[in-house]
Amino acid sequence: MAVPVILPKMEMSQENATITEWLTVEGETVRKGQPLLMVETDKVSVEIESPADGILAGIRFGAQETVPVTTVIAQILAPGEELGAVEDPDGQAVSLKTQEFALPADDRVVTPVARRMATELGVDLNAVSGSGPGGRVVKADVEAAASATGPRGLRASPAARRLARAGGIDLAAVPGSGPRGRVQAADVQALLAQSTAESPADELIPFAGMRATIARRMTESYQRAPHIHLRATADVSAVEATRRRLSELGDEKITFTVMLVKVCAWALCHHPRVNATVTDAGMQLCADVNVGVAVSLPEGLIVPVIRQADQRSLSDLARALNDLTVRARAGTLTPADVADGSFTLTNLGMFGVESFDPILNPPQAAILGVGAPVRTATEVGDQVVFRPRVQLTLGADHRALDGAIAAQFLADLVAALEQPELMLL
Amino acid sequence: MTLTPERQRDLLRQMWLIRAFEEKAENLYAQGKIHGTMHLSIGMEASAVGAVAALQPDDYILSTHRGHGHCIAKGADLDRMMAEFMGKETGYCRGRGGSMHIADVAGGNLGANGVVAGGIPIAVGVGLSQKMQGTGRVCLCFFGDGAANSGPFHEALNMAAIWTLPVVFVCENNQYAMSYPASKAFAIPRISDRAAGYGMPGETVDGNDLNAVYAAVSRAVERARAGEGPSLVENVTYRWRGHSKSDANRYRSREEIEAWKEKDPIARFERWLAQAISLSEPDARAVEQAAYAAIEAAVAFADASPEPDLAAIEEGVYA
Amino acid sequence: MRELSYLEAIREALQQEMRRDPRVFVIGEDVGVYGGAFGVTRGLVEEFGEQRIIDTPISELGIAGAITGAALTGMRPVGEIMFMDFTTLAIEQLVNQAAKIRFMFGGTATVPFVLRCPAGSGTGAAAQHSQSLENWFVHVPGLKVVMPSTPYDAKGLLLAAIRDDNPVIFVEQKLLYKTRGPVPEEDYTVPLGKADIKRAGRDLTIVATGVMVARALEAAEQLAREGIEVEVVDPRTLKPLDAELIIQSVSKTGRVLIVHEAARTGGYGGELAAIIAESEAFDYLDAPIVRLAGRDMPIPYNRTLEYHTVPQVENIVEAARQLAQGRV
Repeated sequence: MAVPVILPKMEMSQENATITEWLTVEGETVRKGQPLLMVETDKVSVEIESPADGILAGIRFGAQETVPVTTVIAQILAPGEELGAVEDPDGQAVSLKTQEFALPADDRVVTPVARRMATELGVDLNAVSGSGPGGRVVKADVEAAASATGPRGLRASPAARRLARAGGIDLAAVPGSGPRGRVQAADVQALLAQSTAESPADELIPFAGMRATIARRMTESYQRAPHIHLRATADVSAVEATRRRLSELGDEKITFTVMLVKVCAWALCHHPRVNATVTDAGMQLCADVNVGVAVSLPEGLIVPVIRQADQRSLSDLARALNDLTVRARAGTLTPADVADGSFTLTNLGMFGVESFDPILNPPQAAILGVGAPVRTATEVGDQVVFRPRVQLTLGADHRALDGAIAAQFLADLVAALEQPELMLL
Repeated sequence: MTLTPERQRDLLRQMWLIRAFEEKAENLYAQGKIHGTMHLSIGMEASAVGAVAALQPDDYILSTHRGHGHCIAKGADLDRMMAEFMGKETGYCRGRGGSMHIADVAGGNLGANGVVAGGIPIAVGVGLSQKMQGTGRVCLCFFGDGAANSGPFHEALNMAAIWTLPVVFVCENNQYAMSYPASKAFAIPRISDRAAGYGMPGETVDGNDLNAVYAAVSRAVERARAGEGPSLVENVTYRWRGHSKSDANRYRSREEIEAWKEKDPIARFERWLAQAISLSEPDARAVEQAAYAAIEAAVAFADASPEPDLAAIEEGVYA
Repeated sequence: MRELSYLEAIREALQQEMRRDPRVFVIGEDVGVYGGAFGVTRGLVEEFGEQRIIDTPISELGIAGAITGAALTGMRPVGEIMFMDFTTLAIEQLVNQAAKIRFMFGGTATVPFVLRCPAGSGTGAAAQHSQSLENWFVHVPGLKVVMPSTPYDAKGLLLAAIRDDNPVIFVEQKLLYKTRGPVPEEDYTVPLGKADIKRAGRDLTIVATGVMVARALEAAEQLAREGIEVEVVDPRTLKPLDAELIIQSVSKTGRVLIVHEAARTGGYGGELAAIIAESEAFDYLDAPIVRLAGRDMPIPYNRTLEYHTVPQVENIVEAARQLAQGRV
């Protein structure tokens, strides 16, 4: 029996996933559990494993194709077995041909020489109108079609072609110094040397996978949720001292971000309207305080979630955050790791950014942006002393939160940072 | 020089084997079991058998495209010969040579030859080699009337003569070089007359008379072995069949062929044996039937033999 | 090391091998008292006698047949065809018989002979005594073809050829006979099928055969003064060819010039070019494969015309320079 390989649904709201890479090829013998392909959802990149021992066959989608979840994307066959019948999630039976070739319509009459030239010049005969008797496609028609799409011949020595291939250089862009303009190895080498010396040419990187998801979600958030931003600063010398002391006392290193998670979770308990998600239908207060922490990766931003952060100890929070960060960087987060956040914390302080206005992480009602600590003259009693102060910017969805409510939440955050012992009350 | 009755009976057996082999070959071709072509020596059995009878087992022969008879007379294993004829791995040449290149190097048959006169210059080298090594062996080189008009004949006979090599040149004059009659191709009555031009003895005999062939070739072999040099013996004979399988016999008359069939060398030797050693008719038929049976057994062997292994296709190109 | 001429090196090989192996003998026209048309076998008849240094009538086909038959029955003859041009008269035995006997006989026989063929132009001998017909024999399965370019190679290759169990066509270019070079006195062989880098370089490979090796080396010397470093590869054995070494060299330099004396069309250069183009060296080619060969014409008598019929040092320099400078 052919075993279907389906694109699994990995989280509740997931509709599609994008195949980023096939790790094996059709006809290859695979073992159950062997990774077959890499798939990227809105949030994570996961490996899809083979559901059975057998031969990989009938691959229906290639890399960069976005496929609805539960779709059969390939099959695992026993040796000698035929491909099984496949239905798409919408119940439509699908053709099992993995490749289809465009053939010229049967009624087209094409002279042999025209057909040969078309093959040689890469001209699509379907796109050529015939000028011969009875609409027959003749040599001149193919020549005209070929010249309309520009010359295809390119003179380059085999060595130049090899170097261009290796260096990712488009030979057409290389001026040829050889006889009859032939591109030679030295021409490619010169360009390679130049391109490493100068800035590269403009390059379009299409949005794909995580990037495309971020683009879509941020646009949606920015356009649909009326943002308000509230700023405040907090003296973090007390929280910093606490953090240091606790790091020395316990086994876990308590980072500033861990302290921020703790502070947010504490404040959210006192402001349930902020711990909420928003849709067009209304706002939903979240039962759990699940604090997402933005982690920056080369290919984009990911927000793993620390669930029930309000009920965890500082060292527990430190462990959880560390684990999530490591796995985010390794690309091994599961869909559950990024699901069900009720609030997001984003800290750009380590980049020296003092303040910024974060965009809401939909469907959450609020987000906190944290800047770098800046030593600031502060009046303490009669004296002016320098204290590290951090700018906090709270982004809030005005549909759900008014400025006053947001301000109270922000004030509690500041208070807890300046007097951490408040959280013990 | 005189052959024992057993030997004479054996020579009759050889002639019948040749006749039976050739008829079977023709039959297999008709059945489509053989591809290519073949050159049959039916009617020339006395020439092959009488000449080779004059040799010792370790002497050499060089044969021609019409060589099945020479090969059998030299003592070839019929199974391996038929297997080669049918292109099988068990054949003398592992199916690489076929009818025109059957060779039994170990048995002293240095090969049939697809080229008319192709073997004559090689005979010089074989003779030279025997003389230099002092083996005492003789090389007998068969060729046809057509070959006697090609260049290699002249170069080779001259070289063999000037170096007094142990070579016996046996010209089987079967009257036609394909379609070209010897009567037109030579301005001399006997091909053996050419021997004088190279300074060697030449003799023309009735090639359908085994005893005459045996006697003449024996004299030549004796001379060669004695270090006195080569000789040329011309066996006048006739091939009953066409030159090859693609011969429509346009160049000769039915009457002519029938007239030569009357001179059948086998019937002639049987008549002689009836007189000389009182060979009875039933004895003669027993010899004939045994020959046909042996050929059938060879066909069975060849049929059952494997085809050459394609993986070994290039074996033997280089040593 | 002791120096010998190419001719003396061949003679020494014959002499040493005849002393070592009684199966070896020399046969050809005027190879005895006369010493061969070019003197290669001079003196050998005095040592080995007329039984082993055998003069023949003017019978090239007879010579070819004699070495074939003798080789087939236990000897190791070395034939000489006075001029390679006259292999035309012997070719039936070489091509139809000697080359094929082993194969036709299902591997049950060997034909271990060497046929020495003085070849090439440059002596004013005109059209019927100046040809380089090596590629005819390269085209015949069952034959090996050897073409030494130095005295050292000539001796070592001839000893290897005599000891080889196949018929070997040994091409000696007449202009090389007087060239001198180091030759060890002792017995040594240069294995058949091993090419040799006669000069190492990085800019361009010249694959040259026979007398063209020396011309290529001279050209390389001149080009070195211009800063062009030429690698000169000598196949030495045309069949079987050491393709690997040539492919390696071309993969290194990316440019190849093939030089031979024989007429261009159907010449060995075409085979070399094809082998290179079919190999992994293709991806390293930075210019077309270029052949420099004899003109497609008979060798003329007139000295100037003859000179300009086959590649000379200046032609090689020019062709190599153009190729190295990316102008081809």
